[in-house]
Amino acid sequence: MSAVASDVGLRTAVQARELVKVYGRGDTAVRALDGVSVAFAAGRFTAIMGPSGSGKSTLMHCLAGLDSVDNGQVYIGQTDITKLSDRDLTRLRRDRVGFVFQSFNLLPTLTAEQNILLGLELAGKKPDRAWYDTIVDTIGLRQRLSHKPSELSGGQQQRVACARALVARPEVVFADEPTGNLDSRSGAEVLDFLRMSVRKLGQTVIMVTHDPVAASYADRVVLLADGRLAGEINQPTADSVLSALKHLGA
Amino acid sequence: MFRATLAGLRARTARMVLSSIAIILGVAFVSGTLILGNALNQQVHDEFARQAKGVDVSVGISHATNAGDNTKITQDTIDSVRKIPGVAGADARGGGDIAVIKPNGKAASAFVATIESTPQLQEFDLVSGAFPKADNEIGLDERTAKSLGLGVGQKISVLGPDDKPVPLTVSGTYSQGSNSLSLSDMQVLLTPSALSKLDKQSGLYQIVAAAAPGVSQQELADRISAQLGKAFSVQTGDAFTQDTLQHAGQGSGGLTQFMLIFALISLVVASMVIYNTFTILVAQRTRELALLRCIGAERRQVFGSVLLEAFVMGLVASVIGLAAGIGLAALLEKAIGWIDGSATSVSVPMTASVVIAAFAIGVLVTVVSAVLPALRATKVAPLAALRSQLDTHDDVRRTGVLRIISAAVLLLGGAGIIGLGMGLKDQPNATLFTVGGGTMVMLLGVIVLGPLIVGPVNKLLGALPSLLFGVPAKLATANAGRNPRRTAATTAALVIGVTIVTMVTVVANSGKQAAAAQVDKRFPADFVVKSSVYDHALPADLATNLRSNGKIAQVAPSQMAAVNVGQIGDEEATGIDPSAIGTMVNPKMVSGDLHQLGPGTVALNKQAAGTVKLGDQLVVSTPDGNKTLKLVAVYDAQQLTDVLVTLDTLTSVAPKATGYYQILVKVKPGVSTADGQAVMDQATANIAVADVTSAAATKDQLNSQIDSLLGLMWALIGLAVVIALFGIANTLGLSVLERTRESALLRALGLTKGQLRLMLVIESVLMGVMGALIGVVLGGAFAWVLIEALSNPELQLGLAIPGGQLGVLLLAAVIAAVLAALMPARRAARMSIVAGMAEA
Ligand SMILES: Nc1ncnc2c1ncn2[C@@H]1O[C@H](COP(=O)(O)OP(=O)(O)O)[C@@H](O)[C@H]1O
Ligand SMILES: [Mg+2]
Repeated sequence: MSAVASDVGLRTAVQARELVKVYGRGDTAVRALDGVSVAFAAGRFTAIMGPSGSGKSTLMHCLAGLDSVDNGQVYIGQTDITKLSDRDLTRLRRDRVGFVFQSFNLLPTLTAEQNILLGLELAGKKPDRAWYDTIVDTIGLRQRLSHKPSELSGGQQQRVACARALVARPEVVFADEPTGNLDSRSGAEVLDFLRMSVRKLGQTVIMVTHDPVAASYADRVVLLADGRLAGEINQPTADSVLSALKHLGA
Repeated sequence: MFRATLAGLRARTARMVLSSIAIILGVAFVSGTLILGNALNQQVHDEFARQAKGVDVSVGISHATNAGDNTKITQDTIDSVRKIPGVAGADARGGGDIAVIKPNGKAASAFVATIESTPQLQEFDLVSGAFPKADNEIGLDERTAKSLGLGVGQKISVLGPDDKPVPLTVSGTYSQGSNSLSLSDMQVLLTPSALSKLDKQSGLYQIVAAAAPGVSQQELADRISAQLGKAFSVQTGDAFTQDTLQHAGQGSGGLTQFMLIFALISLVVASMVIYNTFTILVAQRTRELALLRCIGAERRQVFGSVLLEAFVMGLVASVIGLAAGIGLAALLEKAIGWIDGSATSVSVPMTASVVIAAFAIGVLVTVVSAVLPALRATKVAPLAALRSQLDTHDDVRRTGVLRIISAAVLLLGGAGIIGLGMGLKDQPNATLFTVGGGTMVMLLGVIVLGPLIVGPVNKLLGALPSLLFGVPAKLATANAGRNPRRTAATTAALVIGVTIVTMVTVVANSGKQAAAAQVDKRFPADFVVKSSVYDHALPADLATNLRSNGKIAQVAPSQMAAVNVGQIGDEEATGIDPSAIGTMVNPKMVSGDLHQLGPGTVALNKQAAGTVKLGDQLVVSTPDGNKTLKLVAVYDAQQLTDVLVTLDTLTSVAPKATGYYQILVKVKPGVSTADGQAVMDQATANIAVADVTSAAATKDQLNSQIDSLLGLMWALIGLAVVIALFGIANTLGLSVLERTRESALLRALGLTKGQLRLMLVIESVLMGVMGALIGVVLGGAFAWVLIEALSNPELQLGLAIPGGQLGVLLLAAVIAAVLAALMPARRAARMSIVAGMAEA
């Protein structure tokens, strides 16, 4: 446990140790992650930042069990997910993790409500009605529940995706550039919602972004450069993040 | 642009291969059936042509003048032809039926031909031994020899005049020619003189002559004509060949038509699959095409690139398909040869029409299939297309007004044609074709209406798997229903195939039932003894023997004779045993009472009665006797002759008709079919011509005939169904490619690989069952219409739904749909989540 960046005094939700991920082989090999050790506290909103190509998405994929690692461990709670079979990983994602992707978050054949409840249905669980109502009211889309994704705006689609990620009360929600495709107003709505889910509902959220404004919604920013940890900022503002990024040469 | 096209082709190899399979199968089947048709034609052609082989002059009896009426070809005629200068050889040809006694002691009718003594004129190929030269020798057709279990040098008897067995020695075996389908079971060869001795009825009908070197056909024909006179018609060999081939053309036309109908069905099915594949392909590439246009390609160029791609693909697939078609034809020929046990030589005659058809389908259909979607794709403004999402725009708009109107026109038009056909009751063939055509037009109407139908059907069918398999099944149902047009187009090919299979099967089954009913009508008896050889009656003491058997309840012999009935004309008359009336002879009565049939009375069939009334006196006569009989009954029965009298009356009118034509036998209650058969076999053991049939055996035989015809139909339409299933695999494969991101998302959210595969399998099964179910329902309905149309008072067909066979069909659709989904499902499950999410 040499250089693990973490929030002192808080329970750890997700932790990476000496994470290495290499794409390709030989001359063309790219070390997308080059020994990353980082911990994410439960009940906090953490942003992963860094210049384009620094390994943010790769880190998130490895943390969330979407991709395999070449070396190191990833813990979600007490589980070392790098040792899990595909089947157990799938279960873990289904039962303990929530996702919000940059785009294409929803199944076009299902209504907003069906999309929100899809994860629970896959797990064969009944939704907690009160919790569901809280979430639906928070995203403010009660009128749109029976609509198909093609009938919703980009911002609305992302909010539905957030609702889906939260409805099963996962241990951690991963979001990869959730506002990347949105205008600033819709983006702000989504970010507000994510922050609110941490503050009021006690969720753990890990968000990848390259937008300093988006990062300023987080409690803490972890900086990546060339596949390595390059610092962190607690209680970030848009300005402090921007200057830190400039420091990294992005 | 050309380079961009080629690059496109390379980049999408997987999709290309999938779509090409549809084209290859379509081309293979159509060219295969055409080649098979050609090969069979060729065989018939060869068969006929061999008759004319080596013949320089052919002499027949002239029918042009009255002079030929009493003319016969005799040994003298042959001798006189042989003496004509310039004749290198001349032989008579003749043929007829002869009763051959099989090793089991039973007689069977065989077709007999004569063998020429001049080698050049011989129309058969020797297989072993020699052709018969003496009157006590016989040649056997290869297959006849095999079925009789006889070889060269062994003895076989034939029934001569007076029903005496005449022993002959097998001189050799020969082959009839390449066509094994067209000929009946038993074939033998005799010398012309043996034929005229053994069978007085069979005559010589032709003399064939070969010319000496240096003598032309025409010269020789003129010389022979001058010698023989007007009573004979003389033809050169060339003219004879042409006449013969003309007959050959008539003989095989039906078969070609039959094959063409199936080729047409598979063509339609293949075209639909190809069209659908391209619609999906181009729809998926809408964005790519739009990008090309955004970077400066003109609409014309983009369009041209799609066309060129389709052309290249069609061309390559056509070549492969044609090769596969040749293989298919060869395989089918082998199968036919294998079924009837002959060593048929396989030939794959290629004609220009086969090649043209193959490329027309492969290239033309592919290009046309690509044009329409490409037109649609390039009509959209480039930027709008770039932004377009899947399954949101045009391709999902459920139906247009145009669609509903054209479907209505087709459905009403089809119904109208069916109504028209129903009116043609008196011409069964015209009815069949008109009503059949009408149902096909209606089928087309249903296909056009498809996108409207699949939604509700999909919901209905999806309910059960959703209960059983939960989320994956729900997702599958949603996927199958998300683009009704695509689903409809995919299942349409299957609908067509299954509709036709079902129709044929139900009609055949109903036909079986009707045939069974017909057998019951015709066989009021348990057993019928008949003479197996025309003109050889059953001995009278057989009836006496049977009567004395303890297990037999009733015996009713009958005899037939050609008679003349004053006021009506020449008729066939049956003399029956009066004791059988009301039991084994029990026709539908029109007027009078059949029980009054006795000495001095007669009964008539309705169709022959005409203006004759009950009580009228009719003179019934033959050259050997006559009687005036009172008409006491008129009946209506197709299975009886037009004139019915008692046996005694018949004997007094036709004293030459000795023995019995047939004997009806009823066994006592409680005697089993097997016991009855044993009694019958024992009683007829020493009577060569006696042929015992039971009602049960006759039914079996009829059923097996219908079954084998049905089997052939299943095999032929089955190929179309296979193409349709490839269509499903195709659509599914393309849909999986298109939904890569969706699959990745589902996997990220916790759908296991197994569930993902299950989802795709269920989607495939839904489409398969949907197509099969709609097909079965339509086919059943159409079969009912056809059966109604074909029924008449004589032949009442009832709808008989073969539940088992249709169940097998549905099960096969499910299994095939599962197989169709395997590849796409594997591919979808193998895709990594991260890579899938990154897919554009
Ligand atoms: N599938 C892949 N194959 C090869 N290289 C990849 C792949 N995905 C990412 N990379 C490389 O890994 C590095 C990190 O990528 P990524 O994690 O996507 O960065 P970020 O999300 O920070 O922009 C980059 O250099 C990228 O080119
Ligand atoms: Mg990224």
